[in-house]
Amino acid sequence: MAKLLKVESPESVVEKLISLEKRVIAPVRDGRLHRFLPVTRMEDADFGYFQAEGSMKGYFLPATEGILKFSCTTNEQKLEEPDLEFPETFIVGCRPCDAAALSIQDKLFEWDYVDEFYKARRDSTTIVGLACTYADNNCFCTSMGLAPDSPDGSDILIVKTEEGFLAEISTKKGEKLASLLELKEKGSAEDRRRAGVNAGKLITREFRSEGIPGWLKSNFEHELWDSMCTKCIGCAACTFTCPTCHCFDIVDEPVGTSGERRKNWDACTLRTFTIHASGYNPRSVQYKRYRQRIEHKFNYYVDRFGRFLCTGCGRCIRVCPVSLDMAEVLEEISSRV
Amino acid sequence: MIEELRKIARDLLTSKKVGVVIGYAFVKANSNRTTPIFVTETEDIERLVFNPLCLNNLTVYLTKKKPEIQELGRPAIVAKGCDVRSILGLIKEFQLKREDVVIIGVGCEGVVRDFKDWSGKLTKESMPTKCLYCKVHVNELEAKPIEERRRFWKDQFEKCIRCYACRQVCPFCYCDRCISDKTMPRWIESSAHGRGNFAWNLIRAMHLAGRCISCEECNRVCPVEIPLNLLNREIEKEIQEKFEYVAGMDTETPPPLRIYSEKDDDAWIR
Repeated sequence: MAKLLKVESPESVVEKLISLEKRVIAPVRDGRLHRFLPVTRMEDADFGYFQAEGSMKGYFLPATEGILKFSCTTNEQKLEEPDLEFPETFIVGCRPCDAAALSIQDKLFEWDYVDEFYKARRDSTTIVGLACTYADNNCFCTSMGLAPDSPDGSDILIVKTEEGFLAEISTKKGEKLASLLELKEKGSAEDRRRAGVNAGKLITREFRSEGIPGWLKSNFEHELWDSMCTKCIGCAACTFTCPTCHCFDIVDEPVGTSGERRKNWDACTLRTFTIHASGYNPRSVQYKRYRQRIEHKFNYYVDRFGRFLCTGCGRCIRVCPVSLDMAEVLEEISSRV
Repeated sequence: MIEELRKIARDLLTSKKVGVVIGYAFVKANSNRTTPIFVTETEDIERLVFNPLCLNNLTVYLTKKKPEIQELGRPAIVAKGCDVRSILGLIKEFQLKREDVVIIGVGCEGVVRDFKDWSGKLTKESMPTKCLYCKVHVNELEAKPIEERRRFWKDQFEKCIRCYACRQVCPFCYCDRCISDKTMPRWIESSAHGRGNFAWNLIRAMHLAGRCISCEECNRVCPVEIPLNLLNREIEKEIQEKFEYVAGMDTETPPPLRIYSEKDDDAWIR
């Protein structure tokens, strides 16, 4: 049972952390979007937002990251590894779908090989989630086993209730932060329960998902892949805005005889993702590439790690240039289970 | 008008004059959003619609980027005025023959800039620049000193995540191997840092010089809302001034960057 303490507001958390000279990342309005950026003044944070353009992914698996520097002279090669010391960081106000994505990704990056870049950033960061009070019809977190007030992935989850705000503390990092913020007054379980009931009413789009992995195993050649996914134009908007997608490409960027090796976001929806050195492409047509996306998220990842590689945040649906609705594909599969 | 559109589509399909009708339909979960559909069976004709939510430039599905659509047979395509200009451009670039496509032109009175801007009816404020035939934004930026313009684009391109939505949705970006995907040598850094992004976005704009017809799909699809088409409009203006050429108005006039003409201004050669 998580600990419940009263907290003034998400803004008060930012204010206190800034006064303690901590590095704080919060939602900031940028034109018509909100983006998670470092803030040095409480006024710059705007918690009156639905969902940020990017997820928290960029703070743990950046869009581009230097992993090695190299330089060559006639007689020697020098390699320089980056310093993996990251400043203590507090992300305040991220949605439960974005926080849960981190626990889902942790399973991969701390699996048979521990990704030191990802881990160093994770270890130095505390996540303060903010439960949702609004959802649109592209949200489907409940079909992914989550909820608008799920504490999964948050060290502390701030929930707006009838009586004010509550801090639901789930981890040691959360407890450490709660003492730093000097939260003392206990919150009411009944107050939290009622907020949970309200959160449950937000999601209007639901489908049964437990049969999806099984269907995917036996329907690799089903005609719905072609009929539903051919309109995909093969960009990476869904993949890059997705909080759980994590494929990457390693490239070298030389300048003369020295340079840097980088790790960059990659996407299975892009045509050249599986192109061989011979020029042969096993996923030669777009529906096969989109099929891979679904199989990875809803079949292979489940086999490997016991969870969907998806939190139902709905970004893929909102950003798609051709309105390919991934939840519609899942609903179609679910109806055939 | 919608009944007429559906009737034309039905006649074309049943007479086998076309193998597929490329058009717009409402998304199943959301009647405030449309999506492309590829109608090959008459029972799907009823899904075809045309209204101010029909934003997509469907021409992208006629290009060689989508061979699986080309395999469906001779296409008919629902096209707004701006979309038709990109079809003409493709014909001019020998990507398809005029007789191999049936253009179902629709009388468009404007579309909304993005689905997010839809309030239930079309308003002047919610239309994209192209619908207003207004070049105000280009002039605003143009009037600023060059250092400020450079700063503007540098800041915008910091946001770019190299998702290539702009490239994939553009009917004129159909190269088998885009310059940004080439290795050996790597011409443009693929990393999403400021330097690589600046190179990518500028080169894409340059490769569209004399070809882009400002359908503004790039603006609509960019997930980080970079006003990409502003760059293209500036180049379009240069092309109009230097070569008296407007893209996509017919299939005969040779595009200036493909043809040498003795009338070309040589003053820049010093």
